[in-house]
Formats: sequence, C-alpha cells, structure tokens
Amino acid sequence: MLEYVFILPLLSFAVAGIILAFGKWLPGKGASAGIAVAAWGFVQALFMFVKAMRGGLTLPYEASIPWFSFGPHQATLGVYVDGLTIAMLIVVTAVSLLVQIYSLGYMRGDPRFKRYYSYLSLFTASMLGLTVSDNMLVFFMCWELVGVCSYLLIGFWFEKPSAAYAGKKAFITTKLGDLGFLVGLLSLFYCTGTFRISQILELAHIGFIPPAAAGAAAILLFLGAVGKSAQFPLLIWLPDAMEGPSPVSALIHAATMVAAGVYMVARLYAVYILSPAAMDTVAWTGAITAFTAASMALVCFDLKRVLAFSTVSQLGYMMLALGAGGFTAGLFHLTTHAYFKALLFLAAGSVIHAVHSNDMREMGALKNKMPITYITFLLGTLALVGIPPFAGFFSKDEILAAALARSPYLYAFGAVTAALTAFYMARALVMTFHGTPKDPGKYNHAHESPPVMTGPLILLAAASVVSGWALSRHEIFARLVNFEGVLPFELRHISHGAVALYAGITAVLSMGLGAWLYKARPGIPAMLRGKFAAIAALLDRRYGLDAFFLKIVAVSDSLSAVLFSFDFNFLDAIAIDGWAWLTEKFSRLQRWFDDNIVDAAVDATGTVTLFAGRLTRRAQTGLVQNYLFFVAAAVSIFAAMAFATG
Amino acid sequence: MPLLSLIVFVPLAGALAILAIPKTKIKTIQGLALAASAVCMIFSGYLYYAFDKTTAAMQFIEKTAWIPAFNINYSVGVDGLSVAIVALTALLTLVSIIYSFNITLRVKEFFFWFLLLEGGMLGVFVSLDFFLFYVFWELTLVPMYFLIGVWGGPQKEYAAIKFFVYTLFGSLFMLLGILALYFNSTPHTFDMLELVNQGGMLALNLQIWIFLALYLGFAIKIPAFPFHTWLPLAHVEAPTGVSVILAGILLKMGIYGILRVSFPVLPLATAWFMPFFIVIAVINIIYGSLVAMAQKDLKKMVAYSSINHMGYCMLGMAAMTAIGFNGAVLQMITHGLITGSLFLLVGVIYDRAHTRDIAAFGGLGVRLPVYTGLMVIQVMASLGLPGLAGFVSEFLCFLGAFEAWPYYVAVSAIGILITAAFFLRMIEKVFLGPFNEKWAGLSDMNLHMNLRELAAILPLAVLTLVIGLWPRFCLDLIDPTITYLVGMLNR
Repeated sequence: MLEYVFILPLLSFAVAGIILAFGKWLPGKGASAGIAVAAWGFVQALFMFVKAMRGGLTLPYEASIPWFSFGPHQATLGVYVDGLTIAMLIVVTAVSLLVQIYSLGYMRGDPRFKRYYSYLSLFTASMLGLTVSDNMLVFFMCWELVGVCSYLLIGFWFEKPSAAYAGKKAFITTKLGDLGFLVGLLSLFYCTGTFRISQILELAHIGFIPPAAAGAAAILLFLGAVGKSAQFPLLIWLPDAMEGPSPVSALIHAATMVAAGVYMVARLYAVYILSPAAMDTVAWTGAITAFTAASMALVCFDLKRVLAFSTVSQLGYMMLALGAGGFTAGLFHLTTHAYFKALLFLAAGSVIHAVHSNDMREMGALKNKMPITYITFLLGTLALVGIPPFAGFFSKDEILAAALARSPYLYAFGAVTAALTAFYMARALVMTFHGTPKDPGKYNHAHESPPVMTGPLILLAAASVVSGWALSRHEIFARLVNFEGVLPFELRHISHGAVALYAGITAVLSMGLGAWLYKARPGIPAMLRGKFAAIAALLDRRYGLDAFFLKIVAVSDSLSAVLFSFDFNFLDAIAIDGWAWLTEKFSRLQRWFDDNIVDAAVDATGTVTLFAGRLTRRAQTGLVQNYLFFVAAAVSIFAAMAFATG
Repeated sequence: MPLLSLIVFVPLAGALAILAIPKTKIKTIQGLALAASAVCMIFSGYLYYAFDKTTAAMQFIEKTAWIPAFNINYSVGVDGLSVAIVALTALLTLVSIIYSFNITLRVKEFFFWFLLLEGGMLGVFVSLDFFLFYVFWELTLVPMYFLIGVWGGPQKEYAAIKFFVYTLFGSLFMLLGILALYFNSTPHTFDMLELVNQGGMLALNLQIWIFLALYLGFAIKIPAFPFHTWLPLAHVEAPTGVSVILAGILLKMGIYGILRVSFPVLPLATAWFMPFFIVIAVINIIYGSLVAMAQKDLKKMVAYSSINHMGYCMLGMAAMTAIGFNGAVLQMITHGLITGSLFLLVGVIYDRAHTRDIAAFGGLGVRLPVYTGLMVIQVMASLGLPGLAGFVSEFLCFLGAFEAWPYYVAVSAIGILITAAFFLRMIEKVFLGPFNEKWAGLSDMNLHMNLRELAAILPLAVLTLVIGLWPRFCLDLIDPTITYLVGMLNR
C-alpha cells in the first residue's frame, strides 16, 4: 500500500499535462481525467487511513530514488509517510475531488475550461508532492509550484485587470516570505548536511543541531510559512486572491495551499521545539494574525473576502496552536477547517454563481431561493464558529486549551478572536441569506445551483458536522497525528472542561448577538460604523499593511530608476564613454604633438643634416692629394694620441 | 576521428563555402548555413553521447605542433567543464540560424559572419593551448562587430564599435596575462594543462597581477560590474539571432575562462581575490535586477536580467566548492537556454508589432495562447521556478556559496524577488488585462507563431523542461570534472 504512495503526485502531474495537450478529445474536455485521478487519490488515502487506524501500517515509511548528485551530496526523489502525511493526504485529495466535481457546474461554458482543469491537476500534483516528499529540497520545489498554480488560478480570468493584479500580488508577496524559506533551508542544510526529512528530525531529536542554529533556521523557514499561510504581516495577498474562481478559493486559498505553511512547521516540529524563540515566534505570529484578520472581517462587505479574512484568522489559530505546543490541536484544526472552509467557499461560490455579485449589500433573503446552499452554508458557519457539536468546536477548543496552558495572553487573543469569528459569520450569514432582498433584480434572477454543485456542498456539510466529533472519538486523530518530543517550556495545568464550556458559550452568545443586530436592528451596526468611522476605515485599509508594502514597492521602483540613471548617465556615459572621449582627446593631442613637435623635430633633423651635408660637401673636392692629406693628418693625430696615452 | 576539429572547422568551412555562392541565391545560402550548423550540431550531439562521464580527464584530445619555435600547439580537448557548453553553442547557433531566415539584407554576408562566429566560439571552448584560445577568442570579435554593426537596430554603429573596442581593450590585458604566464613557465609553454600544473608555484604578487590582467578580459565578457554597460546596448541593437548568441554563449566565455584558467592556474591569487569577487557577484545580482526593473523596453529588460543571472554564476564560483561550481557551470547552460529563448520570443513579437515597448501591449494572452504560454514558461524558468532548468542551477549556486558567504547569499536572495517582480509585471502589462485594440489590425494568422519561429524556440523550451526535471542530463557530465577541479584548488 505505502509503496504506491509515489503514484499519487506523479499521476496528477501526468494528468495535468495530458489535459492540456489532449483535453480536447477527452470526455468533459479533460475534466473527467482530473476527477478520476483525484478520486483514485482519495480512495488510496482513505485506505491508508483505515489501515493505519487498524495498526496495519509501519509508520513512518520512507523510500527514495537518487535524482542527481552535486559534489559529495545526492538529491533524491522520495516519499515519507507518517500519520501527519496521511491526514494531509486525505484533506488534499478529498477537497480536490469535491472541488473538481463542483467546478463542472461552476466553470461550465468557460472558454478556458480545459486549461482550468489542467491547472487544478497541476496544483493537486504539487500539493501532493509537497505532502509526501521525503526531503526538503523537493518540498521546497513543490512549495514554489503550488505558488505558481495559485498565481495562474487567481489570475485565471486575466482579462480582468484586478485578477491579473491579484495574481501577481499573491506571487510576489509569498515570494518575499520564500526568501526567508530559501535561506532557512540553506542554513538547515549546513546544520545537518542533508535535505532528508527523517535525518533532519533524527539529528534534531538527538540534539545534534545547536539550539541557536535550529532556532535561526526555524524562524527563517517560518518566514516562508508567513507568506504561504498568509500570516501577519504578509496576509495582504489572500483577500485579493478572491479574484480567482470560487472553487479555486476553496481548494487553494482555504483548505490546502494556505495550510502548507502550517504543515511545514509541523513537518519540522522537532527542529522548532529546539528553540523557545522559534516557538514563540510561531505562536505570537499566529495569535496576532488570528486577531487582526478577524477584526478586518467585521467591516468587509465582500462575501468571499469575509471568508478570506476568516481563513487567515483560522490559519493564525493553527500557528498559535503549534507554537504553544499543541501539535495535535493545530493539525486537527487544519483538518476540520479544510472541510468547513471549503464548504463555505463553495457555498459562497454557489451564491455568487446565482447573483453575479460578491457584495453582500446586494444580497439578502437568498435562503428562500437557494435552500440547499443556505443550509450547507449555515452548517459550515456553525462549524467555523465552534458551536457544539460541530467540527470547529472540537478543534478550536483544543487550540484554546493549548494556548491557555502556554500563556494566558495567547489564550486571550484566541478567545477574543473566537468571539469576533462568531460575530462576523453571523453578520455574513444574515446579510446574505436572511432579511429582505436588497437588489430585487439580482434576487429574482437567483436560483439554486445544479446538483453537480450542491452535491459536493452536501458532502462537505456532512464532514463539517461530524468530522470533529468522529475524529476525536477514541482519540482517532490524536493517535494518527501526534508528536513525541520534549517541549522547550513548561505547560501550565488547566481545566479543559472550563475552556470548552467558555468557548461554547462565547460562540453561541456572540453569534446570537451578531444575528440579532444584523437581522432585527440593522441600524445599530450602521450607526456604530458611523460613530467609529476612524476605526472602520483603519480596518478597511487593513491596518495600512497594503499601503506599507506598496510603499516598499514604490521605494524599490525609485531606487531602480535611480540606479538605471546612474548606469546610463554616469557609468556608461561618463566612466566608459568618458574614457573613449579622453582617449580621443589624448590622441588629438598626440596628433598635434606629432605634427608640431615630433614632425618638426624630424624635419629639423632633416634640415640640420642637409645643412651639415652642404657644409661637408665642401670637403669633397675629388682630388686624391686632398684625401691623402686628411688621412695623413688623421693618422698623425691618432698616433700622437696613442703616444700620449701609451 | 578528429571530432573536435570537425566541430570547430565545419562551420568555418561552411563560411568559406558561402563566400563561393552568388549572393542572389538566397535559398542556397540559407540551406548551406543550416546544413553547416546542423552538421556541427550532429557532431556535438555525438560528442555529448560519446563523452565518458566517469572521468575528469581531458577527452578527444588532438595535439599537433603549430608554431614549434614558441612551443605553440594546435591542441584541443574537452572535459566536463566544456562539453556541455560546446553542445549548447552548436544548438543555439543552429536555432539562431533557423530564426534568422527572416533576414533579407545582405544574406550572404550575414551567414558568412554567423558561421565564422560559431567556429570561433567553439574554438574557444575546446582550446587547450592558451595561444590558440586567444586566437579563437579574437576571432569571435570581428564577426560580432559586423553582425551588430550591419544588421542591428537604430544605434547599431555605436553599439558595434563600443562592443568591439571594449572587448578588445579587455582582451589586450588578457594577452598580457597570457604572455606573463608564458614567460614565467619553464619551459615556456601555452599549454593550459601544463600551466595548471606549474601555475601554483608562482609568487603571490605575480599571480595577482596576472589574475587581474586576465580578469579584466574575462570580466568584460561576463559582464561583471562595472564593466557591463556594453551589454544592454549590444544586446538591444543586435538582430534577434545575434542577441541569442551574445547572451547565450559570448557571456559564458568569460565565466569559462575564469574557471578554466584563472582559478586553477592562479590559486593563490584566486583566494586573494575572492572577497572582492563575492561582492561583485552580489552587485551583479542586486544591481542587475534593479536596473532591469526600470526598463520599459522588453529586450533591454531581458538584457539586464542577464547581468543578474551571471551574478548567480559568480556566486556559485565564489563558493569554491563542488556544489557551487556545479551550479555555476549548470547556470551557464540553463541561462543560455532560457535567455536565448527569451530573446527569440521578444524577436517574435517585435517582428509583428515593430515595438518592444512593454506599455504598448496588453491582453495579448487572449489572442496568442501558445506564444503567451511559451513566454510564461521561459519567464518562470528565468525567475527560478522549480521543475524548470533555472531552479536547479540557481539553487546549487546559492547552496554552494552559503557555506562560505552566508550573509552575502542572504542578500542576493533578494535578487530572486526583484526578478520575479519585474518579469511578472511585464507579463501583466503585455499579456494580461483587456486586449489592446491597437493590435486588432494584425490578423490571427499574422499573430500566430510560424514554423520557423517554433522550430527555433521549441527545442530550447523542451530542454528547459528536461534539465529542470532531470538535471543529471547535464550534471552527470559536469560533476566529475568539477570535483577534480575543486580538488586541484584545495591542494
């Protein structure tokens, strides 16, 4: 069973290429191939899960083939499977499968339908590769590839300038984080001498890696997760990523790719726990992200963006859990969140498909028109908010308990965020589905989506309702995904029951308040917004984060213009062409020197010679006796000199 | 079979043969040029195939006395350092010649110079005698001068003379360095392998002077900051096929020279120079990418990105380890493929629109899916996307250099971000967004790439993918020689 894991990403890669090349001739323009492979993957993952639960698998499993060698080292292609891998595989394949089915309806008639399915398969392949890779080099490669797929899919409707812009923004923002990832990866390599995950974990476990070096590498790698999982302050790209088709948001920007950062931290958890500083960085980044994103969701009117902020916030929860030492809690939330957030995005997609708008102010009362969408959205909301006994309650409760055990301040962030979450989700639910139709034209046009779309909604709704309860029964999830290692800090003793009780009460009250305010007293939120306009504006501007990064872009643009001007006007025009100019001037000087000095000197030599010649010519008389006289004279002079010196 | 001589002299023979054909017989001239470069490619392909990957020793050696009085030999051979670049030279020349079939001006002379250029470049990469190396090195100069000066853009004369004088200036210093090596060897020799054996014994001071003289010649070719300003001008003014050769091959002669001669012959000076070299590498990376970001002309942007990419080569070289050298040599190959095809792609759009102004386009992605796809793939390769060739080489350069220069590497990583920024911005402006109706007049048939263009670009795109997925295709050849070379440096 495990020895065939490598097929999963390979098959998806192959199918991505096949759809692009031959999709025209395949049933459903290639969609069938993508769906078949995703279904295959899901079944295989499910089998592994069941077998692992029954204790039929020896984990971790590892196998690799050599890929290429560089100097004394060898890069490999291989798989590493443990409980974490299996849990992630199920998430990825399940959501990918449902999203691809749903897209049959959502993307029907799109002129680039074939390409869409090819991209989805490429994404799934990369995500599966990232999940199963046995080494950090291939992990990093797949990490980058999912980023590119995200770029391609956010900008899928690239005729729209905002979509093209959002794709670019997402790519570059995550790339900024990836610089940290790259440097972290390099330093991890020099700490351990290998990219193999199992070896890295082993070396970390036996204390071979110095804690300071491990901490530095861990924090640098975490920068990559900050970009990929849209953590503070790099969260700016995810709301804009909603320009992509809704199923893409569900798959990539809710369930899988954005969770890759969390997965990475979990994968290298043995390295992270070597350094309290790294753990605290993770925890506090998560806490701050959870809170800021939730607060931004309060004032947002775009349905998908509300969900995007919510995703950011929930990813913050997962980081918070990991940083606080709640390994299983964070990954449990990753799993449940994948289902209910994918559900919410697909349900929102169903709404948008019906009313052709993202703006909740143009919706309202849609529950009458779209009952299935409404019910499933409601169930997803209950799961996200954490109303017992829906999925989110179980996982969020674990996180809050872990946070409290680590630090009351972390817990405070988590608890406040939970209240905000319940509030903004109630707001979104009411504005979209309850009340009166705000835009009668859109309302009248609205209709329930076809079964190919509502089917996946129902399945995801079922998962959202039961997954939390089912997976925590008999500690199923905890047995599959756990970490045995010594945390670098002491945990406080807390009462788990109290946390659960408080979390449940907060969720119910806060959601009730939100629903009541927006349904019965819509004037109050509007009044509050007017009264605290400054705060609302700050939240709308996303705490100025966008402006901050745009400022950086502007500064680099000016710098680049200045450097180009330096290059063109100074370096080339003066330093290089100046040389040529000087050389030319010098050669002119030389020429003048030649003409007036050297030549004159030569001419003068000629004149002098001529003159001397004229003089000496007088001696050339042609008479032999004269010459003999000169000879005799010369001989006498030489003889006299010889005697004198002799 | 004197394989290397065949590889070098087939293009030269082709050039001579073209001289004998009347200039009106354009088809014959094109056919002959194609045949000569194709035969050369076949021989190079065979060389690639027959090359023994298990040894670091020189292979396919041919050695004949040439000017015995000065101990100058016709001596050629290849090892892992040169074999891949020889094949790349043959390939890029072949596709450039195919692409250049659209040249209508003075066709006969064009292909004459082009084949002469090919012979010169190949000669540089196979020479084992430093004098012969110098002869071939200078032989590339004259054809390039004419190719830019006659068939170039609006500023062609200025660009050509600048290229010529600048490079000549550098190579004169290189000649001084070569002579200094000659007169300091006993017995006097130009034999590179012999110089490697003897060179380490020279005094540090002398080594430094020789190193700097050689470096000036090589650095101008690479081009290393601050000797790079001829490059954007020459690349932009040159016709498309010639830009491909300039970026793809001529720049590599500088890197190759340093790896082949400067490092192994002058190890003490190399160690002395490294702190400067790494700084220059980082400047090339950051400065090159930032200046590229300021460009509004597509071709100039690609040209400046070459400066950035050569910086990665230098970064890998500064590592002084097998990892870094592998990366640098592979980067020579991958940059040749990627930037070569980028120049071809820019040429395709320029031939249609007669402009390269990035702002003049918009939304081409809708009308030109194949062209857009190829462009996006090569741009992604250029910014180091995994799965494509650029990633492996750049990653190895970074990985190698990190051991010795972690902080410099951390800074140069920013170059990746800037490269991504300006290339994606270019993609956005040219291909995405609403279609710019200004180009609606071009009918679909004129817009789509024709067979000649596809035949030139597709092989490069395929190789970009192959090397990205299976780097052993190149690394297996390179690695043994590199390991040996690093051993020599650390002796």
